[in-house]
Amino acid sequence: MLNGVREAAIAGKNGGRCERERGMAVSLRESVQQVSDPRNLDASVEEVFQMMLGVECRRHAPTAAVETESVTAVVGFGGLLSGACVFRSGARAALKIAARMTGMEFQSVDDTVKDGIGEICNMLAGAWKGKVPELAANCGLSVPAVITGHDYNLHVQAAAAAALPPRQSAPRSYRHRWPSACRAMHPK
Amino acid sequence: MGEIRTLIVDDSAVMRKIVERSLRQAGLELLVVHEVGSGTEALEILRAQPVDLILSDINMPAMDGLEFLRQMRAQNLAVGVPVVMITTESSEEHVKQAIQAGARGYIRKPFTAEQVKERVLPLVSAA
Repeated sequence: MLNGVREAAIAGKNGGRCERERGMAVSLRESVQQVSDPRNLDASVEEVFQMMLGVECRRHAPTAAVETESVTAVVGFGGLLSGACVFRSGARAALKIAARMTGMEFQSVDDTVKDGIGEICNMLAGAWKGKVPELAANCGLSVPAVITGHDYNLHVQAAAAAALPPRQSAPRSYRHRWPSACRAMHPK
Repeated sequence: MGEIRTLIVDDSAVMRKIVERSLRQAGLELLVVHEVGSGTEALEILRAQPVDLILSDINMPAMDGLEFLRQMRAQNLAVGVPVVMITTESSEEHVKQAIQAGARGYIRKPFTAEQVKERVLPLVSAA
């Protein structure tokens, strides 16, 4: 995640701020700590994969990349927090995720697979910001954008008006534990 | 319970399918489902045919779910039809806005089929 809390919201420059604004600034400083807590992201990942896919998904040390094709979904944050939630998956895992969501089988990363991965990223962003009350109420989400291909890099522009130096969270890797048979989460 | 004409509004086709499957799992077997990807398309459907149940996302391009609800009420479309929002937005403020706009239920993504059943079935049974 790349993020920065807006300066106007966290530390007003004018001397005559009311109590409510001061209270909000204190509350937001606490929120910044929550934003930086990687356990919130881990919990969001586990929640989304368990509820939507019925799959256990836990943090795992990154493995050496053997797959060149990947699918990356990006959901932007706007309002109190500027930044983006980025979800990146190897193509084979993306096919499995989409199969689990839809009950269909996929041979390649088509529009349905991209749609599914975009929704996973959307739910991750929503679950993550929902764990920080000020963000849940004052931070909007963009619709997902999805990138596929080989050997690409992603750069998210930092917000110009951020009070905190923009920082990119260290990428966190997760491993799914797939059931023996890949089937839809909500079969007919 | 007879045939339930349902309108599912979400810009993700995958999510529309998941919602539909969750409804069938909830026991709503006689579903006639209209799927659309935006509030604008949903209004067109409602002008053309009656429905018994509406499930809508909030964050959508073109016209979001809250504006869709407001437009629906302003145009006297689907009067009395229960609307359930299914969305990643989970704050009290969003719930309040949805209720004010006319929603009767609210489901946060990610969700389970059981949650869909709990929130939707009473609304359909009461209609």
